[in-house]
Amino acid sequence: MRKFLLLAGLLLASAASFAAPVLTEHVEAELVRGGPVEPGKAFTAALRLKAIPHWHTYWRNPGDSGQPTAIEWKLPPGWTAGPIQWPQPERLPIGPLLNFGYEGEVLLLTEITVPAGAAVPAAVSVFATWLVCNESRCVPEEAELRLDLAGGDTPWAKAIAGTRASLPVKAESLGAWRLAARGEAQKVVLEFTPPPAFAGERFTFFPFDEGKIHNPGAQSLTRKGEAFVLELPRSTQPVGAFTRVYGLLVSDRQPRAAEIDVPVVAGAPAGAATGFAAALVFAFIGGLILNLMPCVLPVLSIKILGFAGGGREPRAMRAHGTLYALGVVSSFLAFAGLMVALKALGSEIGWGFQLQSPWFVGGLALLFLALALNLSGLFEFGALVPARLAGAQLRHPGADAFFTGVLAVAVASPCTAPFMGAALGYALTEGTGPAMAVFAALGIGMAVPYLMLSWNPAWLRWVPKPGRWMVRFKQALAVPLYATVIWLGWVFALQTGLLAGTAEAKQADGWEPWSEARVEALVAQGKPVFVDFTAAWCVTCQVNKQLVLQRPDAELLFRERGVALLRADWTKRDPAITRALAALGRNGVPVYVAYRPGRAPELLPEILTQDILLTVYRPVPRKVP
Amino acid sequence: MKQILGRMLISLAFVASQAVAAPAVGQPAPDFTLTDTAGKTVKLSDQKGKFVVLEWVNPECPYVRKHYNSANMPKLQKEFGAKNVTWLAINSTRKGHSEFKSPQEMAAWMKQTGGAPAATLLDADSKVGRLYAAVTTPHMYIIDPKGTLVYVGAIDDKRSTREEDVKTAKNFVRVALGEAMAGKPVSTASTNPYGCSIKY
Repeated sequence: MRKFLLLAGLLLASAASFAAPVLTEHVEAELVRGGPVEPGKAFTAALRLKAIPHWHTYWRNPGDSGQPTAIEWKLPPGWTAGPIQWPQPERLPIGPLLNFGYEGEVLLLTEITVPAGAAVPAAVSVFATWLVCNESRCVPEEAELRLDLAGGDTPWAKAIAGTRASLPVKAESLGAWRLAARGEAQKVVLEFTPPPAFAGERFTFFPFDEGKIHNPGAQSLTRKGEAFVLELPRSTQPVGAFTRVYGLLVSDRQPRAAEIDVPVVAGAPAGAATGFAAALVFAFIGGLILNLMPCVLPVLSIKILGFAGGGREPRAMRAHGTLYALGVVSSFLAFAGLMVALKALGSEIGWGFQLQSPWFVGGLALLFLALALNLSGLFEFGALVPARLAGAQLRHPGADAFFTGVLAVAVASPCTAPFMGAALGYALTEGTGPAMAVFAALGIGMAVPYLMLSWNPAWLRWVPKPGRWMVRFKQALAVPLYATVIWLGWVFALQTGLLAGTAEAKQADGWEPWSEARVEALVAQGKPVFVDFTAAWCVTCQVNKQLVLQRPDAELLFRERGVALLRADWTKRDPAITRALAALGRNGVPVYVAYRPGRAPELLPEILTQDILLTVYRPVPRKVP
Repeated sequence: MKQILGRMLISLAFVASQAVAAPAVGQPAPDFTLTDTAGKTVKLSDQKGKFVVLEWVNPECPYVRKHYNSANMPKLQKEFGAKNVTWLAINSTRKGHSEFKSPQEMAAWMKQTGGAPAATLLDADSKVGRLYAAVTTPHMYIIDPKGTLVYVGAIDDKRSTREEDVKTAKNFVRVALGEAMAGKPVSTASTNPYGCSIKY
């Protein structure tokens, strides 16, 4: 009986070609227009589908099952039909699944352009196909429909105008938005502040692309001041990468649907900078940690020993400390300003860009050499610096303090400390003001320990009285500096091509060069992938490489789990890598990304450990050789 | 100190990502036991060492009928059955739904349409459908001899109920099986399935 009805419906539908509504088993279908049709003008036609109660047709993305309605126009030569202008759909739950579509009546508008001077025929026809379903059954239907073109306004003009007025609009046409999306393991988090024209209390996202979100999953909405945070659960069987939140954001108030397209930035590990305040805090902590880095510690130690030497009056020391802090902060601001300006000019650069220049690296190597020789006691600065300058230093001890700050920042630059990656990445996406603030916080963090010592010299009591040991200590401090000189010389040689092929690019066993396409291909094959964004001048990168990545444990783990190893070498400028880093919300190296089948790519911390790698890759099934 | 902080951050990140997820390409195919139309028990893990295809089927679905009436699905079943691939057709329509089929009805329909899977399995409580997060009929899964999913998605790239479309469609399952059986990586391993919703 059911089959018979279906057949009857299909027969009826295909046989019919009337201007009057075509009745199928479940749908009343009709092609209508509003105004007159004139040569040289566009007009709007509408496919009206009215499903019987509890049955529905589908949106452009049908959701978990189903099929979008399709219209095939048969138009005279020169006439063109635009795409279907889909009204905002409803969420239609079917058991544990979810569809996007329309219950009851829907008008699917299409813009038809008529060439100038065209003869307008009495009618045009279309072939329309749709799937109509209720909770338990689906029926494909189709109809040949006629659109009468003769005559003026029709009774449908109002309904068409009404539909057009409530169609989704491009978000930007409603005013200024703040939109950002970041990917997390199980969800993509959309944060948005709509303009006043798009007010609402409840918001729902309808994706244009299939295979991105878990359709039936709850989209949890929370308020964060003026902003809303909407969590979109990821599809459990994703198709392709979730690179953009692209679709309709639907509000519970008028105007109801806005079309958004927001790039998804890979989520940083929990606790990464997600807001301005957090970025400032992380930058400050990053600055503090910079002091402990091997490139900065010797320089600072000299200064502290200078204090310990004593004999200065407290006021002078305070002034000295303050000027040092000023030197640090203003150098960071100068760096930030230069970086923002270069980016504004279109350069694809990131933090550490200065080290991508062999000139800077060479200069730094000479500077470190001078410092090391000085510490070894081979010469005194005074002996080298022209008398007039030395005099100036004596006359202006403040200038000395300030330039020590500048020097500290210069030598610190190879050591992108942990936490700084997220903060700097955030800074550079948020515009000049916030970027400057984050860099200032970084500088303050770096300057604070020294500043506090200079204001509380009592804390230096633990430092033994100056004596013979200081000479030895200075000589000991020279050792890491010499090492730094050798290392910078190596980087310089790589960059200038004195050494063939950079060691980072000359891939170690099992590593292959990174490219966006290679990652995509491997991920498409369902392979686990590990990407190492690195540079020869990046100390943290080298430490991780030596202590973790190239240890037999890690090599065994990678081999066992069949992890494809890709290395992106940023020693020299490389716009593709800079773009990839930006897409990950980062602006410097190291960055480690783990791709595992069926999961969102994950950023690992800047300080790698064997445990981290194990936690990430142990769940991946063993590769059978 | 840095290490401790770092570890805290990592463990936080992992609590969030350890939630149970539906099996996806590259992951192990979860084991199940179902009864076929002849009353025989079929256990997935018994098929280790062979390629296995899981096909979600529902005779009442127009998309399924397209692939059976055009002989597209039966042909694939025979072609790969001859190559030692275990093809399991699974009907997850819940018992009590108007489209539910008894084992006898299922067997008769398979015979009538010329279908030739290794077994036609009844999943009357939809448990295996949910286990695999299958959403449509047809919905296709390919499992390699190690028990890893190497393909999940649609049967082909022509989303329609028109039988003639199977001639021009790119059959993802044939391509994926061909590549996987030749020891090559599957070029298109995840696609959006199309069809009727599974009647959970």
